[in-house]
Amino acid sequence: MIAILNTDRFRVRLPVSRTTRVLVGLTATLLLALAWAAASGALGISPWEVLRGQADPLSIQVWWQLRLPRLLLGVAVGAMLAGSGAAMQGLFRNPLADPTLLGLASGAGLFVALWIVLFQDSGASSLYGQFAAGFLGALCVCLIVFGIAKRQGGGSAAVMTLLLAGLAINTLAGAGGGVLAFIASDEQLRQLSLWGMGTLTNALWRTTALALVLIAAALWLLMRSARELDLLQLGEATAHAAGLDASRLKRRVVVATSLGVGLCVALTGVIGFLGLLVPHCLRLWLGPGHRLLLPASMLGGALLLVVADTLARTVAAPAEIPVGLLTSLLGGPYFLYLLMRRNRAC
Amino acid sequence: MLTLHQAGLITIPTIAPLDGTIRPGELLVIVGPNGAGKSTLLSMLSGFRNAEQGALHLDGKPLREWPIAELANRRALVAQQELPGFDWQTDELLSLGSNPAKSLVAALLDDLDLTHLAKRSVLSLSGGERQRVMIARGACQLLSRGSPTAKDGGILLLDEPTSALDIGQQQRLMRQLRGWAAQHRMAIVCVLHDLNLASTYADRVWLLHQGQRIDHGLPSQVLNPATIAKIYAAELQHIEGGPHGKPLLALAP
Repeated sequence: MIAILNTDRFRVRLPVSRTTRVLVGLTATLLLALAWAAASGALGISPWEVLRGQADPLSIQVWWQLRLPRLLLGVAVGAMLAGSGAAMQGLFRNPLADPTLLGLASGAGLFVALWIVLFQDSGASSLYGQFAAGFLGALCVCLIVFGIAKRQGGGSAAVMTLLLAGLAINTLAGAGGGVLAFIASDEQLRQLSLWGMGTLTNALWRTTALALVLIAAALWLLMRSARELDLLQLGEATAHAAGLDASRLKRRVVVATSLGVGLCVALTGVIGFLGLLVPHCLRLWLGPGHRLLLPASMLGGALLLVVADTLARTVAAPAEIPVGLLTSLLGGPYFLYLLMRRNRAC
Repeated sequence: MLTLHQAGLITIPTIAPLDGTIRPGELLVIVGPNGAGKSTLLSMLSGFRNAEQGALHLDGKPLREWPIAELANRRALVAQQELPGFDWQTDELLSLGSNPAKSLVAALLDDLDLTHLAKRSVLSLSGGERQRVMIARGACQLLSRGSPTAKDGGILLLDEPTSALDIGQQQRLMRQLRGWAAQHRMAIVCVLHDLNLASTYADRVWLLHQGQRIDHGLPSQVLNPATIAKIYAAELQHIEGGPHGKPLLALAP
C-alpha cells in the first residue's frame, strides 16, 4: 500500500525558486556564523553591548579595531577564494582547477615576498605595492598556465599537464621563497613569516577596507560571467556557435581571479583548498549551473572561512592555529564523505 | 541561406577555395576519407575559423560581420564526441545557450527518443544517448532562438552525428533530420562516414578529399563506385537497384 503512494505529492512546494531558497539559506547561515564569531574570542565581548556603547573602552576598542575587520576580511577572502575556484573550474572545464593547485596563490606569494624583501622600506606605499605584487604574480602564473592549457588542447592529458604545471610552479615559488628568506634581513624575515602563515591576523581597517572594495569588484566580474561559463561547458567550438565570445570570457575571468587571489594572498598568505573544496561540495549538491554555483560558492567560502577562523582563534586561546590548517581539516573529511556517497548513488 | 564564394583556408589544415549555396530545407551531407578536412570545413561554415580567402555570406551578410550572439540565433553546431564538462542533467544541458519553452524541450526529447532520460545525469548516459542529447541541444538552440521574422529555420551543422548510434537510432535520427529540415525550413549540414546513409537520406552530397571538394551534386551522381573506390582506396562491391532504386556500396570481402 505504502509503495503505491507517490512521495512527491507530499513534498512541500514553496512558491520561490530553488536558487532563491539556496541563496537565502546560505546568507542566513553566514549571518548566524558571523553573529557567533563576533561574540567569540580570547576576550569575552558581547557585540550587543558594544553596539549599544555599554561595554568597557578596552572591549570596544578590541571589537571595532581588531575583531570586526577580521570578520569582514574573512568573508571577503573566503568568498573570493571559493568563487575564483568555481570560476577556474568552469573555465578549464575541470573540477581540479583551483588557485592553490594551479600555482596562482604561490605565484602571488612569491611576488609579494619579492616586494617585501626588495622594497619594504618605502613606507606607506608598501601596502599598495604588496597588493600590486600579488596581482602581478597571480596574473603571470595565470598566463603561463593558460599558455600550457592552450598548447595541450582538450582531453585528459591536458588535465595531467595542468596539475604538473601547477606542481612545477609551486615548487619554483617555494624555492624562490627560500632564496628570499635566505637573503632577507631579520626585520624582513619576521614580516615574511608573519605574513606567510596563512592567517587573518593582520586584518586592520586600512587594509581591509580597500580589500573589500577590490574583492567586491572581482566577485562582480565573476558573477557576470556565470551564464557564459555555463555555455563554455559545451566545448569551445560548440559554445562559440551558441553565442559565446570565449576569449572575452577568458580575459574577464583571468583578470578577476588574478586580482582577487593576488589580493587575498597579499593580505593573508596562502589559505589553501578553499577554492577546490567549496565549489566541489556545492556542485554535488546543487548541480553544475554557474548562475547558482558561483554565488553559492562565494557564500559557502565566506561561511567556511569565518567558522574556521573563529575556531582557529578560540580553540587554543590565547594561542592561534593557522586557519589554513583548519580549513583543510574541516573540509577534507566532508569532501571524502560526499565522494563516497556519490559513488554509491551511481 | 549560406553562400560561399571561393571560400577557403590557407593555414593547415587547408581547405581549397570552393563555391556553393546551402539552402533552407535541404539536407547536405559532406563525405570524404579520414583527414579530408570535413571537420575543418564545418568549423569554417560555422564561423569558428574565419575563411582566409574568399567569403561566406549568411543571409546576404558576410559571416565575419555577424555579432557572435546574433549568429547563434541562425546557426548551431554539434561538434564531434565532445564530453560536456561536469554532471549536467539531460534537460538542463538541452537548454544551454537558449531559453527554450518547456514544450520545445519535451518535443525535442521525444523526437530523439530521450524522454525517459530527461532527468538523468549526462555523464551517466551511453555514448549514443549522449550524442543524441547534444544533437537535440543544437536543434533546441536554433528553434528557441530563431527570430520570428526569419523566413527559415537557420543552419544546423552536425559533425558525424551517427558515429555512436545503432542502426535503429541512425534511421530515427536521419528521418528526424529530414523532418526538421522540411518542417522548420532548416538547412542541415551533416558530416557522415556511412556512404549508404548519405545515399539514402541526403538531398545533396559534397565529396571532400585532401582539403578539396572534388565532386558535389545528387547522391546518385557523386557516390559512384569508381570515384569512391579510388578516393577511399577501398575495394567495393556495387549493388545495383538497392532500396528505392538508390545505389548501395558494400566492401568486398
